Amino acid sequence: MAFSIITAGTAPTIMADMIKSRKDTLPPGASVEKDPKYPAVVSYTLKNGLKLLILEKHFVPTISFTMIFKVGNVDGTQGKTGLAHLFEHMAFKGTKTINSTGYEKEKPALYKVEKAAQALIAEEASAAPSPEKLKKLRAALEEAEKEADALVVSDEYLKIYTTLGESGMNAMTSTDYTGYVVSLPSNRLEAWMVIESDRFKNAVLREFYRERSVVMEERRMGEAEPSRVMWETLGSNAFTTHPYHNPTIGWMEDIKRLTRTDAEAFFKAFYVPNNATLAVVGDVDPAEVIALAEKYFSDWEGRPLPERDYPAEPPQKSEKIIKVSFKAQPALRIGFHNPGMDHPDIYALIMACEVLTNGKTGRFYKNLVEGRELALHAWAYPSYPGSRYPSLTVIAAAPKAPHTAEELDAALMAEVEKLQKEPPTRWELDKILNNYEAEMIKQLESNSGIGMNLAQNEQLMGDWRYDWKVGEELRRVSPGEISIAAAKYFTRENRTVVILKEPR
Amino acid sequence: MNFPGLPANFAMPAAMPKLGGVNFKPPRGTRAVLGNGLVVYLLKDSTLPVIHLTAYIRAGKINDPAGKIGLGEMTAGLLKDGGTLKYKPEEIDRTLEFLAASVESSMGIEEGRADLTCLKKDLDAVLDIYADVLMHPAFDPGKVKLRRDEMLEMIRRRNDDPGRAVVREALRSFYGPSHPYGWRSEEATLKAVTREDLKACHDNYYRPNNIIIAAAGDFSSDEELLGELEARFGAWPRGEVKFPVIPPVRLKGERQVFHIQKDVAQTYIVMLQKGLKRHDPLEYPLTIANEILGGGLSSRLASEVRSRLGLAYTVYSYSVKKPDYGYSLAYCGTNPETCGQALSEILRQYDLISREPAPAEEVKRARDSIVNSFVFRFPTPFDLITERASYEYHGYEAGYLDNYVENLSKVDPAAVLETSGKLFKPEGAMLFVIGNSKKFDKPLSEFGPVTRLKED
Repeated sequence: MAFSIITAGTAPTIMADMIKSRKDTLPPGASVEKDPKYPAVVSYTLKNGLKLLILEKHFVPTISFTMIFKVGNVDGTQGKTGLAHLFEHMAFKGTKTINSTGYEKEKPALYKVEKAAQALIAEEASAAPSPEKLKKLRAALEEAEKEADALVVSDEYLKIYTTLGESGMNAMTSTDYTGYVVSLPSNRLEAWMVIESDRFKNAVLREFYRERSVVMEERRMGEAEPSRVMWETLGSNAFTTHPYHNPTIGWMEDIKRLTRTDAEAFFKAFYVPNNATLAVVGDVDPAEVIALAEKYFSDWEGRPLPERDYPAEPPQKSEKIIKVSFKAQPALRIGFHNPGMDHPDIYALIMACEVLTNGKTGRFYKNLVEGRELALHAWAYPSYPGSRYPSLTVIAAAPKAPHTAEELDAALMAEVEKLQKEPPTRWELDKILNNYEAEMIKQLESNSGIGMNLAQNEQLMGDWRYDWKVGEELRRVSPGEISIAAAKYFTRENRTVVILKEPR
Repeated sequence: MNFPGLPANFAMPAAMPKLGGVNFKPPRGTRAVLGNGLVVYLLKDSTLPVIHLTAYIRAGKINDPAGKIGLGEMTAGLLKDGGTLKYKPEEIDRTLEFLAASVESSMGIEEGRADLTCLKKDLDAVLDIYADVLMHPAFDPGKVKLRRDEMLEMIRRRNDDPGRAVVREALRSFYGPSHPYGWRSEEATLKAVTREDLKACHDNYYRPNNIIIAAAGDFSSDEELLGELEARFGAWPRGEVKFPVIPPVRLKGERQVFHIQKDVAQTYIVMLQKGLKRHDPLEYPLTIANEILGGGLSSRLASEVRSRLGLAYTVYSYSVKKPDYGYSLAYCGTNPETCGQALSEILRQYDLISREPAPAEEVKRARDSIVNSFVFRFPTPFDLITERASYEYHGYEAGYLDNYVENLSKVDPAAVLETSGKLFKPEGAMLFVIGNSKKFDKPLSEFGPVTRLKED
């Protein structure tokens, strides 16, 4: 959960020099943003629903691609947590033609692996697994995998990109979305279209069970990191009903039971063009991007998405305090349920977070890191773990010895209570707004950064201009409204506190 | 030779268009020298109304006195925070934060840095502060205490995340805890630093003739920005900088295993071998060898340890150059129950690359990877001009950056084999492990004589 807010921007014609050649060759249906308070993004939607956002930047001959799907762990099912993330790993394992020596031969071999794996999982999940049987089933799975492996061109997808000169190839899964990113030299535009259209139309989830082991290692890595342990504990205790309860990586017991069949069903349900936005930023001609997207992505079949009506989290009635015993220095997280990003109170809450933590003149730093020297650091985040549904506004902090996490908790709450009673000064708000505005300009410096921002906002919040619009909303928030929002949401009964401490 | 996981028939998709090369000649920018020896690199770029500037100060954590390790870092960290002759600390924070500008300084292992970012309209005000921060820091006593306390707290927390601690501790054992390449600050060395030490450290290293500045952004012209810099830094007197003598690196070169017992979910492995001195031309074949071995998800280590065996999420290798011997490092995080298996596989991969010629196709792919992605070293004009300044700082020959691609393109399988054979000696590698040995699949003693260390 990167700290990303705070940026709004109304600097005049901020992108004037970015546009090399605004050709009038855009096809019908494409539109260019002309309002100078926004970057000159070209928007276009394919008939199958895939949305394109294109932004020209020409300093270096490179292009950054960001494909965002509105599917994350929140869309998983009980007992199958972690599926969105495991699928993201599988999306690097090729297609019917990539990573394969011949899919027709491979298909029965993959079927055999799946049968063997499911038999093993069933035995493992049984009331009294027999060690002998398990051993046999494991050997059978290994044997089947060996046969299937012989038909694989291993890592071919990755090797193609390596040869092309990729930079920053990655993918990320959150509870809200899954994103696929890569940057390439600009004369590889069509190459990207060829590979990625195939990737999402014809994915083959080979080498599934070994990749599942890789993900288990990823989970183990998180279990060794105190900060990840705290975030997971916070989410799973603050949410009882809504699926934000589940960690994105999944519970280990769930990961152990995920099958390729599960992942294929998930792929079919959510990896459709009408659930995706593609941002292309860099040294490109928008008309060419659109023409190539039409050529390679238009036969990707759209389908209606599943119902996504998840149970709402009931109001929290009493304070929850969870103590985690872990071999590390003390730290804490305080999560308050917030009303969601589409609720009008959210802007005052965002401003409240910033009043508390914006810079060394922010209240936490000035009074608790410096002043009383209670904290090593203290931050406030408007929205964790996601933004699609009401989530948590979180204070994250670490005490400085000899002070304890409990002392720091009391001091943080005292600062919050002060804010509830006394509205912030105009200077504090203007500083925050200036920073938001400057960030909105600076975020345009990085092609991959702005690509991620545009695609995410379009796909999740419904408008790539979302951050700029938030900036306008933040300007309208009065000092009094910030205190009112703090009083409404930052209450004892609405909070979940996670305190991490060394075992005694 | 057959590498499992390395297909002979890796191919581009049939529908792939014909691919041209990537030919990017990075702009040179402007280089100027002020009368007092301050070197300035400039690259005007009016894409956005933002200005970035950084200074390389010839200093580093390796230059600290042995009894005061942390002095350079504390000095750098207090340049702004401790206030200046002209500005009180609060005044600086209020001004910069209201303008959404930043002035930050830090101390690296062998370089000091001071960065400025601001909107074009605020350059004058922010540059005034920046210049005073570099030239006339006041080291306010209250801020010195705060900074020291923060650094002491960071020491208390340095082992919280074993996945990070393992690299620092491995290097400490590799170079020796009292060698500047391996040392770390301790409670006693931080407490030994006085305010006078900070002033003296600043007075010695922060001199115009010891600094290279790089700037890019939306200034009107090179002349204008040079004038602004001259107006602020022109009267800053030169000084004779005294550098300590760094003792030569002495490495054992024989197999040693270090183990820190810790009951954590994952086990962390670092393998270290002797690397190169900074200007050794072997860096080109070594770069290719590392790309093949552990450079990305399709490298041999990732392909074997991660994809084929499913033993790790994180596994990679790289090499670091230093004025004296640098190092080659491999990293892996694995289940304690597969620690021995992962270690064996990593050792096997180093052994293979140093004994068997890599297929020409694999060497070509590694070359293509670096040559074709070369342009990504300069995503912005500021990144480019900073890189140019860094090469002068580290004493590279003038054409280093512009000839880099050509020099790399010359590397062939024979050069990779020769260099790997010369530099990778897994039988003499140091292995460093943090994890719960009660769960290990094999005792570490099977990998060599084990020294047990305590986490501290």
